[in-house]
Amino acid sequence: MKKNRWKIVLILISIAGALWYLYPTYKDINYQKKLSQLRGEDSLRFVQEHLDDIQKVRQKRIKLGLDLQGGMYVSLEVDIVKMLDNLAKNKDETFRQILSEVRKEALTSQEPVTSILLRKFQEKGIRLSRYYGDIRQSDSEIIAELEKQAEEAIDRALEVIRNRVDKYGVAEPSIQKQGNNRIVVELPGVKNREEVRQLLQSTAVLEFKLLKPADIAIKVMQSIDNYLAGKGAVDTVDTAKVAKTRDTTKTISAELGADTSAGLSEFEKFKKEHPFFAYVRVDERTGIGFVMARDKKMVDFILSRPDVKNLIPPDFEFVWSAKPFTAQDGNQYYNLLAVKKEPEITGKVITEARATIDPDNNSPIVIMRMNSEGAREWARITGANINKHIAIILDGTAYSWPVVRTKIVGGSSQIEGLDSPEEAKLLEVVLKAGALPAPLEIIEERNVGPSLGEDSIQKGLKSAYLAFIVIALFMIVYYSTGGIVADLALVLNIAFILAVLAGFNATLTLPGIAGIILTIGVAVDANVLIYERIREELAIGRTLRSAIDEGYSKAFSAIFDSNITTFLTALILYNFGSGPIQGFALTLMIGVIANLFSAVFITKVIYDIVADKYPTVVKFG
Amino acid sequence: MRFIGKTNIKFIEKRKIWYFVSLTVILVGLLSLFLRGIPLGIDFLGGTEVIVRFEKPVAIGDVRSAIAQIGLAKSEIKTYGTHNEILIRTSEQAEGTKMGEMILSALQSKFPDNKITILNEEKVGPRIGAELRRKAFYTVLFSLIAMLIYIGLRFKPIYGLGAVIALFHDVLVTLGFCSIFSAVPYFNIEMNQSLLAAFLTLVGLSVNDTVVVFDRIRENLKLHKALDFISIVNKSINETLSRTIITSGTVIVVLLILLFVGSEVTRGFAFALTIGMITGTYSSIYIASAIVVDFTLSRQRKAEKEKLLKKQPVSAK
Repeated sequence: MKKNRWKIVLILISIAGALWYLYPTYKDINYQKKLSQLRGEDSLRFVQEHLDDIQKVRQKRIKLGLDLQGGMYVSLEVDIVKMLDNLAKNKDETFRQILSEVRKEALTSQEPVTSILLRKFQEKGIRLSRYYGDIRQSDSEIIAELEKQAEEAIDRALEVIRNRVDKYGVAEPSIQKQGNNRIVVELPGVKNREEVRQLLQSTAVLEFKLLKPADIAIKVMQSIDNYLAGKGAVDTVDTAKVAKTRDTTKTISAELGADTSAGLSEFEKFKKEHPFFAYVRVDERTGIGFVMARDKKMVDFILSRPDVKNLIPPDFEFVWSAKPFTAQDGNQYYNLLAVKKEPEITGKVITEARATIDPDNNSPIVIMRMNSEGAREWARITGANINKHIAIILDGTAYSWPVVRTKIVGGSSQIEGLDSPEEAKLLEVVLKAGALPAPLEIIEERNVGPSLGEDSIQKGLKSAYLAFIVIALFMIVYYSTGGIVADLALVLNIAFILAVLAGFNATLTLPGIAGIILTIGVAVDANVLIYERIREELAIGRTLRSAIDEGYSKAFSAIFDSNITTFLTALILYNFGSGPIQGFALTLMIGVIANLFSAVFITKVIYDIVADKYPTVVKFG
Repeated sequence: MRFIGKTNIKFIEKRKIWYFVSLTVILVGLLSLFLRGIPLGIDFLGGTEVIVRFEKPVAIGDVRSAIAQIGLAKSEIKTYGTHNEILIRTSEQAEGTKMGEMILSALQSKFPDNKITILNEEKVGPRIGAELRRKAFYTVLFSLIAMLIYIGLRFKPIYGLGAVIALFHDVLVTLGFCSIFSAVPYFNIEMNQSLLAAFLTLVGLSVNDTVVVFDRIRENLKLHKALDFISIVNKSINETLSRTIITSGTVIVVLLILLFVGSEVTRGFAFALTIGMITGTYSSIYIASAIVVDFTLSRQRKAEKEKLLKKQPVSAK
């Protein structure tokens, strides 16, 4: 008993750990049950109330793969041939012919497109500089430049897609860069496939829009607030109320830093009187709104109501900032900007954008250049709007809203006041996205209808239960109480697999369920090997105690070897497979380790205790 | 309870017969592989695959003619799962992802009063397929090499070789069975990622029984120095027979459950693995151990011959 004390502690800790990791999954299933009973605004309100907890458990639960919950898997590649076509100048028949040959070959070849292009040009004896770059540049210089363009294109595409998917409002999207030029997007629960394809492939739109003056922005928000509070008409805003609102907005920066745990009832009262301003705090000086990240959906919902839309002037629109920032109070805030609907100028005129460091004060800046046509317009726009904010908006999301300091002549602007080099880099990507769109091509697409996913879960669970019952019963019938111990180990084994999946944020796929079912069959093998050995040892006349010890130690080598071989192949499979297959390999790998722990280690401790205290109970069939 | 008591079966003596049986099964399988192969899934082939569900049952012929009208006469069309669900696969690469939409609208106009829903739609570009084929080959190769090295290190190189030849045997037999049974629509067998996963898992699992037998041979070699090698191997197989059958049995039972109760998607996987496990159990006795015996015996004979050759000059003197 004493020598096992630490082993028992270890076992209890791991079981407690497993339960701790599985609890969020259990809770999330409960929340989803509740949510499926609520509709419309009620469900929004429920989400609002439990938001922190819902988000927390959702992040920590076992994720279901697309094959189980239904959805869309899209793998995109930057269409480099098309990009080469876009970048070329003085295109003629020869060029088009070469490019179509390149396209044909690129379809099946593993060779990089740029090197195919170079080869084709060299075969024809034409210099690349005829269509790309500068006349003085050598072929290899131009190829290097084109390769850099292709590499940057993928980063731009990634940002564009991320932004759009965020806006599209899919729960738990996954957007990943794979290799050098591939983007894998997973969108659970998406139904409108055509819409998603458009979303992923359409060209990014970059616009510069003027922020509305603060007083007008506040007035519109005021009228929405009044309307929601049931205070009627739009233009009867009496001055007293404006003054009152100003009270609440005046100390915005102080409040953001202040403790927000003021009396709840007071907040409830405020919410009743000001349903809009309860969610949106406004900086009186700039007219920019601050919305807590968790309130964003609620505000979106309010702004999308048709009756509220009527209150917004036709030349006026609200846009969100792209990324939330963390305020002094530790909460995440988004900005809500009121901008002029009509863009001043679009991103097509941008010829260059570069994130760099201002040599004067070492702060990150972005330098942006425009073509001559754009520069002329830009001079006019900036000249007319000095000291006003101009928002840089990509696909309807604002990334930055710098203040115009002076009239900018010559088309070269400098954007300052950025918090970090990363922010500057992001802005560079955004500015380029509008100017040099990265044409994306869907190279792989998989859609699983929700009914097929549901069906797969049902059948998967059914076979898992059945497999468990059959194996568990067999073990008890064949090995008597030894079977009960083995079954206990089996239950723990499955719990450990699921807990590790949840803990590592891994995804459970249909092949993953198959992996668990397979584990049920494989896991008891360790106990079979041990028990058979114990039976042998008992047969040659050993005492129970020494037969158990001998059984465990002599069977271990074979158990260890077979688990290692399974682990090795699963590891190779994991590196080979994609998505669902990786899920299978992962459950198999976890299963092997959990198996050594539960079927060998834990059962041994159980026998160490039970065989001493209650030797009559211990039977091996 | 006990299924198998003490046995004393002379496994090794009959190995020549079983070599012949294995070779025959493999040859039949290879013949089927060359003649009909295993239909390639969309993962490897590239193209578009749509699974649609009709509210009311439809005749496959009608579906085919509807598909032929949009120029996809060469498509593969078969029922999937229940009768109302039909899988349509074409290797045609339409621009973008319009193919699924085209198929759906063609079907909808052919069956206007039948509600059609898309259950699953996949499009795989040609490059992905080529990439996958290459990777698949290396993956199987790597795993066999990994086994060869691991077993060779844990036991003796000869044992590693015996185990890997047995694995190769299992993979070939299973491939043959998959090829023959791909004619049965129920099993849903096609060469895709999940079938490949089955083969790799098979490599990992089927070696388990072999390890148990080898482990016992190693132990008995130390215990019974007087016995000849064939007797030791026979004794080891007989002693471990009960557990070999039970451990494989539990795995085969869950695989059968997965095959007949589980989702259509994992059926091909479960089929291949079931065949593989049965073959693997057989081969760990009749192939892996038998090959180790043959290698060891031939080496012993060689050693004796050399001994004799070395002695001869001495005696001649």
